[in-house]
Order: sequence, then C-alpha cells, then structure tokens
Amino acid sequence: MEYDTIIGLEIHVQTKTNSKMFCTCPTGYFQKEPNSHVCPVCMGLPGALPVPNKRAIELCMLMGLATDCTIANEIYFDRKHYFYPDLPKGYQISQYKNPICSDGSVTLPNGFEVKIERIHQEEDVAKSTHHTSTSESDYSLIDYNKSGVPLIEIVTKPCIRTAKDAKDFATQIRQIARYLNISDADMEKGQMRCEPNISIQEKGRWEEKDGKILPIGDYELNPKVEVKNIGSITAVEKAIEFEVERLTKELGEGRKPIQQTRGWNANKNITEFQRSKETADDYRYMPEPDIPVIEVSNDDIERIKSELVELPHEKITRYMNDWGISQYAAEVISASRKDASYFEKLQTLLFEKLEAKIAAQEAANWLMGTVFALEGDKEIDMNDLSLLIMKFKEGKITKGKAEEMLKDCISNNKDISDELDMFEKSASDNAGNIQDIVKQVLDNNPKAVSDYKGGKEATMGFLVGQVMQATKGASNPNDVKNILIELLK
Amino acid sequence: MKIDVKHTAELSRITLTPEELEKFTPQMETILESVTLLKDVNTDGVQPMKAHVKFDELREDVPQESLTQEEVLRNAKHKEAGFVKVYGKVFGDIEES
Repeated sequence: MEYDTIIGLEIHVQTKTNSKMFCTCPTGYFQKEPNSHVCPVCMGLPGALPVPNKRAIELCMLMGLATDCTIANEIYFDRKHYFYPDLPKGYQISQYKNPICSDGSVTLPNGFEVKIERIHQEEDVAKSTHHTSTSESDYSLIDYNKSGVPLIEIVTKPCIRTAKDAKDFATQIRQIARYLNISDADMEKGQMRCEPNISIQEKGRWEEKDGKILPIGDYELNPKVEVKNIGSITAVEKAIEFEVERLTKELGEGRKPIQQTRGWNANKNITEFQRSKETADDYRYMPEPDIPVIEVSNDDIERIKSELVELPHEKITRYMNDWGISQYAAEVISASRKDASYFEKLQTLLFEKLEAKIAAQEAANWLMGTVFALEGDKEIDMNDLSLLIMKFKEGKITKGKAEEMLKDCISNNKDISDELDMFEKSASDNAGNIQDIVKQVLDNNPKAVSDYKGGKEATMGFLVGQVMQATKGASNPNDVKNILIELLK
Repeated sequence: MKIDVKHTAELSRITLTPEELEKFTPQMETILESVTLLKDVNTDGVQPMKAHVKFDELREDVPQESLTQEEVLRNAKHKEAGFVKVYGKVFGDIEES
C-alpha cells in the first residue's frame, strides 16, 4: 500500500515586548526568581482587567505582513476555556473565529509554497514542573512569570507533504522572526514551539479542499497524531520521519491508528504516547467581554509595514540574480541579518574599486572561506578587510599570506592596516635582492630547471613556490614568475 | 433543553456524585431555558453592542512593577521555594488542593 504524508504545523512564537500581553508586568522571566513578575491580571485574580499591549499586536501583524497574510481591520479576542494549574483564570485569552492575520504563505528554498491559514494573538501560560514523591502524592510547582507573555500562533494548512519541507518552513519562520526582531525564537528556551499534526492516507483516496482533508468515496480517513515537546528545528524533521514510519508500520500490520498526542523524546529519538484524543477538544469559546473591539485603520497597517526589511529569501534571490552568488553561499550569508548586512557593506566598499559582481563574489568568498570561520565573537574591521582583499586582488599579496595575516590579526588583536604596511615594506626590501634569491633557487633545483627547459611548463609553479617560500611569502608571485621566465630564457 | 452536566463538570475537573448530578441537571437546564428566551427577540439590523477602541489608543509597551513574590504567594494554599505547589498528576486528575 502506498501512502501520502499529510502534515500541518502549529508554531507558537513568544514575541519580544517589554511588558506582558494584557498587563504591565515585565516579560523577561528567564532565570528570574519564580513568581516575581506577576500581578492580579496574569495571576487571574477575580476582577482583574486585561489591557492589550499595542506593541505585541504590532509584532503579530508584522509576522502576518512578512508572510503575505491579510490583516484584519477589527481585532476580537475570545476566551478559550480549560482547567489546568498553568492557567489560573480558567481560560486563555486567544482568538477564535477572527484571527489578526489570515491566508498567507511562505515559499521554501525548493520553491514549494506553504499556505498559512492564520496567525493569531494569545497569551502564554505559566511554567509548571512536575514532581513525583515517595512521601506525598505527586505534585507540580508553578511559576507564573511566563503567564501572560505575548504569544502568536502560526497555523499552516495541512499542505506539507515531507518532513524536510516542515523543517524548512520552521527554519524560515524562525529566520523571519529574528530578521524583523519579532522574537529571538530560541526553541531551547521555549520562545518558539513547533507542533506538527501528521497523518498518512492511502494514495488517491483523499483530497484537500479549503485546507481540509476529505475522503474520496467510502474511504475512511486515518486519524492524525499531534507531536509536542519538540525542542529544536532538527527535531521537527526527525519527529515527523519517526511518526510516518511508525504509522506506516502500524497500518501495514493491520492495526488502525488512534488519534493521539505524542511527545518527542530527544534522548531516544522517538515519540512517546501521551494521551489519546477520543473526544474533540471542548474549549467553550466565547467573546472576551473585557476587551473592546480594536479598530485598525489602513494607515496603522501601512505604518507597521514600514518595519518590514528585505527578508532572507528575497536577499538570496537578489544575491544570486544580480551578483551571481551561488545558492549555497547566498543561503549561508543571509542566514542572519547581521551577516547579511556585513556582506552587503563589504560589497559596497569593494565596489569602489571593483565591478559590482566581482566585489560581491570576492566579499562572499572571503566571508565564507575565512571570516565566518575565524570571527567568533570578534568583529573584523570592514575597512581593513576590504583593504586586504584589494591588496590580494592587485596581486600584492597571495591569498594564503592574506589569510594568515587575517588570522594572526584576529587572534592576536593586531591592526590589519599596520600589518599590511609592514608586509609591503618588507616586500619592497625583498624586491631588491629578489634576483639573488631567484638565482639561488635555480642553482638549488637543476632538475626542475632542465625539466622546464625541456618543455615541462608545469614546473614553473614549483619554482615560483620555492621562491615564495624563500621570501616567506613577502613577494608578488606574478613578479617572481616574470623574473623566472626572464632568467630561464 | 438537555445539558450534559457530567461532561461540563469534568471539563472543570469537578467530581459530582450521582445524587448531585440528578439534582443539578434540571436546575441548570432551567437556567439555560430562561436564557433561551433571548433567542425569540428579533435582532435583524441591530448592531452588536460592543465597545470599540482605536488601535492607536492601546496601551504602550512600558513595563511597571509587579507584586512581590510574597504577595503573589499569599493566596496559595501550598507553596515551595517561591513556587505555587499543586497536587495531582500531569494529565490525570488534578485534585482540588
């Protein structure tokens, strides 16, 4: 039996605000004393009134604008009820029928378009840690600092077909969030959480209509599995691959899968049963009566749109089309806004001396080949770097020597332009006695000389290398070659 | 109007005895029935009565001081090392503590 894999993703992202979604408590709860960023609103005390945070809603809209969503002109909040200690009010303020952003899409590097159903605004819940005890009954310890932190939920249509595409989508969402400063989106810190919904269906016996998976004829759809507790982008792909294999095996053995929630176990690289979902969730949504309808004008939306910057996938296309950068290099360079900006500034500097394409390619080569590997926490001065690259382009220094100098300057905190001055000075000192050095090399390598004279031109490279070695790299290989040719005539 | 009080109670993690169920079910149904009267009102062309606020008038993102940990925990029946402590299993029943 052949199956299709059907994946939908729900991605939660904590947005980067100073205060919480509905109260003025500070948001930075990481490594803070438990229950020190809490007030009657996020504690859910009776009579407390939620007051929406403007910036949080702007960030939700910004994510929607970056993913081609339609932004609503009226914002409604709803109450989603469930009873659990991490939610002291007994309901989460969320959005039900009218999300802030709807009908968007993201195009993956392989060209596949992931359709986004909605992005809505809600609030995070408290952090609970569960403990088992021998002396008393099991208990949980709860810290309400995280309760009420702004959270957006991005929901795709069930249009994803491979684990790799799901992973690429999550990667792209994280990149957008970081580029636009919507969130740091660190999955290990829980700032971004991915929950895939996965099912496998017999080929040709189902169809997708308006984002819903429907059976064809008398086919009975297989239920879906939701995977939680995914702590990294790579785990998104691994968890889905594991589930597809598990579900295929189960069906192959004639067992019918059940609708369930499973948890990813990163140590064992498997998913584990958490609970079955025999009944549909019953959240008893109702309009949030404490928050008025928020009117958003087109001017408001335009103002937020001005915060958009060129996004990684747009940069990749531009680098490739305008400057002939390879896709791989373009992807690496644009992975973070900081690296992309460094690359673009370096290109601009080199462009003063070089043609635009060459400037971009040199900048890319040096960043990919040397700078990214060396840089670490240290910043390399852009003017110095462009100076060094230009010396290389002018043939005044070999690439090896230049890289060596760069490395030395970074690890020993030396100034590149000083080092270059010294290098050029010693190069010109050498130039005086370079003739002598070349003669000596020729004397020491009679075999190479006779080989060259016998027509083996490749030997030239060897001889140039010998001279370069003798001058410790402080001479221009082209000059050396010319002298050699002259002397070997 | 029929109402599944048992299900509603379970959603709120409240355990009801069969006697209580028998007692509460008609009571809640009566309440719902009286509210259902509203359904008979013709609301054609009536705008929903909901307060509106302009986006620009929303609260600016400026944090203010929270309660102290001591104040936060004052209403907690059980506490430990600055946390609120609740008894019960993760996905099972969380008993009222």
